Amino acid sequence: MNRSCKLGLFLLFSMVLTLGLVGCSNESSSDGKDSDEKVEITLGYYSSGSADEKMEELIDQFEEKHPNIKVKTQNAPYSQFFQKLDTQIAGNNAPDVWLSDGVLVSKYAERGAAKDVSEWIERDLNKDEYYGLDFNKDANGKYFAVPQGIQIGALFYNKDMFDEAGVDYPDDDWSWEDLQEAAAKLTIDAEGNRATDSKFNEDAVNQYGMTFFNITEGWMPVLKSFGGGVLDEELKNSVIDSPENEEAVKWMVEGMEKGILTDPSDLQSFQSPMSPFPSGTAAMRIGIYARVLAANETGINYDVSVLPKGPDGKRFAPVIANSWIVNNNSSDAKAEAAWEWVKFWVTEDDVQKEWAELGEAVPVKKSVANSDLFLNSGENKINKQAFLDSFEFAGTLDTNAVWSEWLQKFNDNINRAFLNETSVEEALKQADKEVTKVLEDFYKK
Amino acid sequence: MPKLARKKKDLNDRKRKLSTEGRWGFLMVSPYLLQFLVFLLFPLVASLYFSFSKYDMLNPPEWIGIENYTTLVQDPVFHKALWNTLYFTLLFVPAQTILALLLAVALNQSLKGLKFFRIAHFIPVICSWTVVLYVADAILNPRFGLANTILLKLGEKPQQWLSDEALIIPVLVAVAVWKGVGYMMIIFLAGLQNVPEDLYEAAEIEGAGIWKKFRHVTVPLISGTTFLVLVLTTITTFQSFEQIYVMTSHLGDVTSAGGPNNASMVLMLYLFQQGFSFLKMGYASAIAWVLFIILFGITMIQLKLQNKWVYYEK
Repeated sequence: MNRSCKLGLFLLFSMVLTLGLVGCSNESSSDGKDSDEKVEITLGYYSSGSADEKMEELIDQFEEKHPNIKVKTQNAPYSQFFQKLDTQIAGNNAPDVWLSDGVLVSKYAERGAAKDVSEWIERDLNKDEYYGLDFNKDANGKYFAVPQGIQIGALFYNKDMFDEAGVDYPDDDWSWEDLQEAAAKLTIDAEGNRATDSKFNEDAVNQYGMTFFNITEGWMPVLKSFGGGVLDEELKNSVIDSPENEEAVKWMVEGMEKGILTDPSDLQSFQSPMSPFPSGTAAMRIGIYARVLAANETGINYDVSVLPKGPDGKRFAPVIANSWIVNNNSSDAKAEAAWEWVKFWVTEDDVQKEWAELGEAVPVKKSVANSDLFLNSGENKINKQAFLDSFEFAGTLDTNAVWSEWLQKFNDNINRAFLNETSVEEALKQADKEVTKVLEDFYKK
Repeated sequence: MPKLARKKKDLNDRKRKLSTEGRWGFLMVSPYLLQFLVFLLFPLVASLYFSFSKYDMLNPPEWIGIENYTTLVQDPVFHKALWNTLYFTLLFVPAQTILALLLAVALNQSLKGLKFFRIAHFIPVICSWTVVLYVADAILNPRFGLANTILLKLGEKPQQWLSDEALIIPVLVAVAVWKGVGYMMIIFLAGLQNVPEDLYEAAEIEGAGIWKKFRHVTVPLISGTTFLVLVLTTITTFQSFEQIYVMTSHLGDVTSAGGPNNASMVLMLYLFQQGFSFLKMGYASAIAWVLFIILFGITMIQLKLQNKWVYYEK
């Protein structure tokens, strides 16, 4: 064998090797033809520390029950998880089933990455038995995901602070006006003056009546209960520039000017915008269910109530249904196996109970959510019924395919109104213009 | 003519030798070549293609010609990002270079405890941006920070360091200089140690003072190092991302990075946001190419200008 022949062989060999490696990464899209054969599915989820162990346990249980399905897991911290997921979808090697933040479901659904599971839901689930299924329904009534756990908003309040100020605890009758009145009595400056005193200094607040930020735990519930909102029912057009929104935002700006609601720059003083309530710097907050964990951890004496009603008696509780999505590009066998996992998750009482014990979310299955296990668990007995009652007037955050993009535009503008850099009218007009452009770019081209 | 024949044979031998050598050489660099093709050339070509298409990563790219570029030209946020990047660079590059040089000169003396100071200046370089953020927060926190505490003591009004549109870039630059100056200082130190001692002695005999020695010996002799520092700093500034991402993603919400009101939106951040947060990969690729062209241009200008002021010892 002469030299050039050896060289050729070597090059050929290295090419084969490279092709082989490239080939391997596409393996996940190959078909598992026979349903009796073992199917291996990949399950992706974002980690949340303590919950990971439980997830692994539940997966083991699932594999025991379904000996023909093997589950491979992929997890990462929240933001990395979704970045990786997008790249994986682009490369056609995304997990066969993954956990999606509720606000991102339409992003995947409207771009064709999530499988339409409507038929399977009809076949295998009794829709009345579950919370939150409808929050994943699109405008055409199709389902693209099944909830894994539900986050729903309610009003958290610090009982000790209310007692000290001699203010009655919030109840079902509260309007946002009542809330602001109470909040004024609960706001204390560095000198110990309350916001109701004339000597009160709104530039040096030590205790806020209410902490307030962001969409879910800030402006969205207020806008909606005042009769406003961001998008129309179709979720394709902006309704930002409305008198209802103007009234709602004025209510917020007024509270911030008086120093009884935290404004965005107040919140910058804290390591996390979540911390004023659990650390005892604010007497109230709008909080989703998961905020119970932090509040319990710091040991403050608190309870929850339904959110206040708007001027016309309308109420609104924000909902985020974190959900399982089945990959639209998975082979039939893998998708069926992935669906088995979803079914296992929502229908099995044991799974629902074990997950509920972590206290991260309201269980999807109504029977478990309404059981003692959920309602009366934990050392801190709070009115968890308030979360369940809130389902009657719950809604999503106007999530659509370009949610994060319009949200950024809206936040930018409303924050300027909050910081008094622009008028409420001007901010809403500008937000309306920018959000409309985002929507048109995506939907009307 | 045996002489000529031998010459011919020699030449042929050498040719053959060369070609086998060439082949072997090719073989030796093939791992690198492969790496280059797979991880550099392919992504480069792909991103160029994406920049002419509408691509959301979840669906196949759709060719739209130069639309991404025409949108860029009209995009006010892009203009702002471009200006902010330039503004950041104009403040950062001279500030960091001059400070690094002064520090290097100061720490090039034979003093006691010198190592400690060198290390102290280098520590921020090793720290991650998240750590730096915590230190910066101890100073810049509007309520509990050192800066506002001092301002209040002096009877001045407290400042919103990170949510004031006019202050944000200078504040970010100050923090970036604090973090980066140690690294450039080390490069300068290396340059300074190559300046021959006898030149200083000669200058001293001529009666030059500290300033004159610095101006006429040190500065020209380390101009090569200075050039390197300038090019490196400019490139890193244009690519600055992590700091702004960490320090301005207000309220734990990453889509808010670049605020307030886009006052700290820089090109890399805008690219990331469009590509990864909003899934506009095509648009993001177009931004990347514009960024590349700008950087390439600036580096070319720097290279051209170096003939005028950089001195290399022959």
